[in-house]
Amino acid sequence: MTTKLFGTRVQRVEDQRFLRGQGRYVDDIDAGPHTLHAAVLRSPHAHAKVLEVHVDDVLDLEGVHAVWTYEDLADLSAPMADPLPLLIPHPTLTHARTQYALANGEVNYVGEAIAFVVADDRYVAEDAVGRIRVDYEVLPPVVGIEAARSATALVHEDVPGNVGARMEQSNGDAPAAIAGAPHVLTLDLTVERSACQPMEGRGTVARWDRDIDRLTVWSSTQTSTGVRAAIAVKLGLDLGQVDVVTPDVGGGFGVKINHPWPEELLVPLAARLLGRPVKFVEDRREHFISSAHERGQVHHVEVGFDDDGRLLGLDVEFWHDHGAYTPYGLIVPIITSTQLLGPYKPGAYRVRFESLFTNTVMVTPYRGAGRPQGCFVMERTMDAIAAYLGKDRADVRALNFIQPDEFPYDQGLIFQDGRALEYDSGDYPASLEKLKALVGWEEFPAFKAEMAAQGRQVGIGLACYVEGTGVGPYEGAHVHIETTGKVKVATGLTTQGQGHATVFAQIAADVLGVPLADVQVVTGDTRRMPYAVGTFASRAAVMSGSAIHLAATRAREKVLRIAADALEASEDDLEITDGVVSVKGAPASSIALGTIAVLSNPLRYAFDEQSKMATQFSVGDPGKPPVAEDDEPGLEGKDFYSPERATFASGMHAVIVETDPLTAEIKILKYAVVHDCGHLINPMIVEGQIHGGVAQGVGGALYERMAYDESGQLLNASFMDFLMPYVTEVPTSIDIDHLETPSPLNPLGIKGAGEAGVIPSAAVFAAAISDAEGFSITSMPISPSELFALRRLHQEEPS
Amino acid sequence: MRIAGENTLHAPVSRAWDALLDPAVLVATIPGCERLVATGANSYDMTVTAGVAAIKGTYAGTCVLSDLSEPSSLVMKLDGTGAPGTIGATVNVGFSSIDDATTLVTWDADAVVGGMIGGVGQRMLTSVSKRMAGEFFGNVDKALSGALPAAAPTGTPAETPVAGQVFTAPAISPRSDFVKGIAVGAGLVLLGVVAGSLFGRRR
Repeated sequence: MTTKLFGTRVQRVEDQRFLRGQGRYVDDIDAGPHTLHAAVLRSPHAHAKVLEVHVDDVLDLEGVHAVWTYEDLADLSAPMADPLPLLIPHPTLTHARTQYALANGEVNYVGEAIAFVVADDRYVAEDAVGRIRVDYEVLPPVVGIEAARSATALVHEDVPGNVGARMEQSNGDAPAAIAGAPHVLTLDLTVERSACQPMEGRGTVARWDRDIDRLTVWSSTQTSTGVRAAIAVKLGLDLGQVDVVTPDVGGGFGVKINHPWPEELLVPLAARLLGRPVKFVEDRREHFISSAHERGQVHHVEVGFDDDGRLLGLDVEFWHDHGAYTPYGLIVPIITSTQLLGPYKPGAYRVRFESLFTNTVMVTPYRGAGRPQGCFVMERTMDAIAAYLGKDRADVRALNFIQPDEFPYDQGLIFQDGRALEYDSGDYPASLEKLKALVGWEEFPAFKAEMAAQGRQVGIGLACYVEGTGVGPYEGAHVHIETTGKVKVATGLTTQGQGHATVFAQIAADVLGVPLADVQVVTGDTRRMPYAVGTFASRAAVMSGSAIHLAATRAREKVLRIAADALEASEDDLEITDGVVSVKGAPASSIALGTIAVLSNPLRYAFDEQSKMATQFSVGDPGKPPVAEDDEPGLEGKDFYSPERATFASGMHAVIVETDPLTAEIKILKYAVVHDCGHLINPMIVEGQIHGGVAQGVGGALYERMAYDESGQLLNASFMDFLMPYVTEVPTSIDIDHLETPSPLNPLGIKGAGEAGVIPSAAVFAAAISDAEGFSITSMPISPSELFALRRLHQEEPS
Repeated sequence: MRIAGENTLHAPVSRAWDALLDPAVLVATIPGCERLVATGANSYDMTVTAGVAAIKGTYAGTCVLSDLSEPSSLVMKLDGTGAPGTIGATVNVGFSSIDDATTLVTWDADAVVGGMIGGVGQRMLTSVSKRMAGEFFGNVDKALSGALPAAAPTGTPAETPVAGQVFTAPAISPRSDFVKGIAVGAGLVLLGVVAGSLFGRRR
């Protein structure tokens, strides 16, 4: 049999293109020589009424083809005058608000789109934007959670208290459990705003083909089917008239799952009305101020525990800054509120949150999606309990772990997908033992003492998380074996660099017994697979991986059925190796997959030598229909995977940091990861995901933040001012160990891995820095100057 | 954001007051100021061109003076809009006598800088503003000493500026006496300075 590819370190097939500069991103799309270019006038004010937009100076400008404001939209396409969709409604989201494609009389954040210009090139378009004058009545802006809660000013005048949603979930009576607990601690914990910052920003190209009455849209998105549905509705087209293709995407990290962006509708609208292709590619400043952010939350924790550190009751209240609009619903705070529990049994648990409007860029998921905050809250709490009781931090955690024999474990809450928060499998004690060994947990006190003797200050921290991955509703796959024997696989979700072309090919190749090189994977193209959801929530491997496995299995069944007939053997006696079906033990009795593909499609007309085999005088029983009633022509398999609920991956990180006694510089000495995403399809790709996640997590913990001033201006809206880790800031080596606890929920036993690396970063760095400094870090990210200021504070008021 | 500074002029307070309220002086001394149009008592429209490299533009702005307390203080409200962004500011300007021949001008601005310059250049604003303010007051000092020509209003000269009167940046020519009047001052500086200074107008 062909060597099994599942579980092996297959090199990424897409890297040949990427490393040679042959990737094709949305800006590389050549939609034709007459392509026009769009630019957007964006609000310079965080909160203002738009009294009038003067476009007279632009209308006659040479090279300008269209200038639209809100007033124009209804005439262009009636649904365009409605607010953009509320993608994920929720009963507790009582005051949802979404923006208009172009501002309708009011702007609520710096960067909100006001006017849209289409011109010969981007230069003319931007010059035209610069000549549009707008009369504003500036209103008081609401910036930050404190201002939102005080409600001295309102973002939306019809949303009292700036509260979009209030939600509460509980399991047991947490306040009573805490009241009766021997020990109680309270903590206030803060995480600041940040953003995904993919290297490629948003971008959309559209071409209307009047000959076939059909629109083709290329968009840098995490959901081509979502974008397609939105465009069809907003432009008043049938779904069948709209094709959305996602080319190579230079990073998503969550921000591109939100859709449709104003430009994602305005560009196709312009292409259709002007009869010429139109392109919009966001620049970096636009990405900062008009895409989406995340992370900003303030938390208050009350926890009751016994003398050993066992949780008896946990009561968490937090405030989530969702920015000016809520297109993505409550996904982020719901994830925080549920995934906060991590690998622990909390005793009684209650969580309450308010999701608040502010005059800042809206919030949608950023890799980790609320989990980094939840993990930070839970792990700081664990550390606080250990410190209070004078116990080892790892021991306190171990005491509260869900045990391997307790799965499936129901946390008694409703998760982000509306399903029970029921963990399917895991082995947290084994992970912790691996992590302790990997980082040298037991040896660390001696190391710390040794460093202290040299006048150096070091600290160690650990953090554990559980991540619900592979949420529904479904994904599908289509597998087609061509007459050449080559296998074409299509799945609808999109790819942003995860290595789908490799891992999905591994799965299909294993099932069909073909070489990896004979499998070609297409993702995110609605022409090839019109039913799909998208790439988010670490779901692609679980959802599309499983769907491809199922679809390839369908194709294999048909292969064996036809081969058994041709070889006059039983299906059970057949095997497929290197693209050839043969009778076990009788290799001479064989038939190539390509030949089976020929036979699967009864022909009237031959088109080459081989296809003569399938013509009407060559095959078939003259007494029966050429295609049986329950069959169809062609060698294809199609299937969908739709699990009952998410599968829960887990992991633990530990870091050793050194803090400079003078400058408060924070240096990483060692970083260790134990990761459990069930069966590994490709360990190299999983490790790559972890490396990337850890790098992004270092950024989130030590560098990245959105510096809004009190008037709602984002002061660091460029890569000059917004710090991201370079290779110099990422640990030179990341020690990784895997545990493989298979998921019982899917045929491959896999769990998601995409977000894992970033989830525990804030928690683990806060823990290590606290350990080095001797006081608790309660707000992340932390810069050297902030650490320096904290040192002074703690010297003045020793705790 | 708040920006504050103080600068010294080598003239008695009354002359300093007159100079800083004189549109003809200001249009000649504010870096990048091209044009002032009186729109009524105590109010002006103005045009300032400023920028560097890619972020460059012409700002159309207004300036309204209030709380005039001659010769010691005034309040100025400014608004400016251009392709690179918007500037709004309220500036408290104070004049005090150091000695018979020297005046200290103090200014304290509460400014909102929006749009592209708000996000890209704001962190440099405070330090650059002060440097540019120094340049401006240096120019005013030269004007006070007669070394720099001020603008004459186009059209009929008048004692005080009237609505519609236009001041443009002068060609070098001998200058007569200062046109008295109410006008812009340190606040205009702020607009010129905030806009111009952000990108450090290079010559």
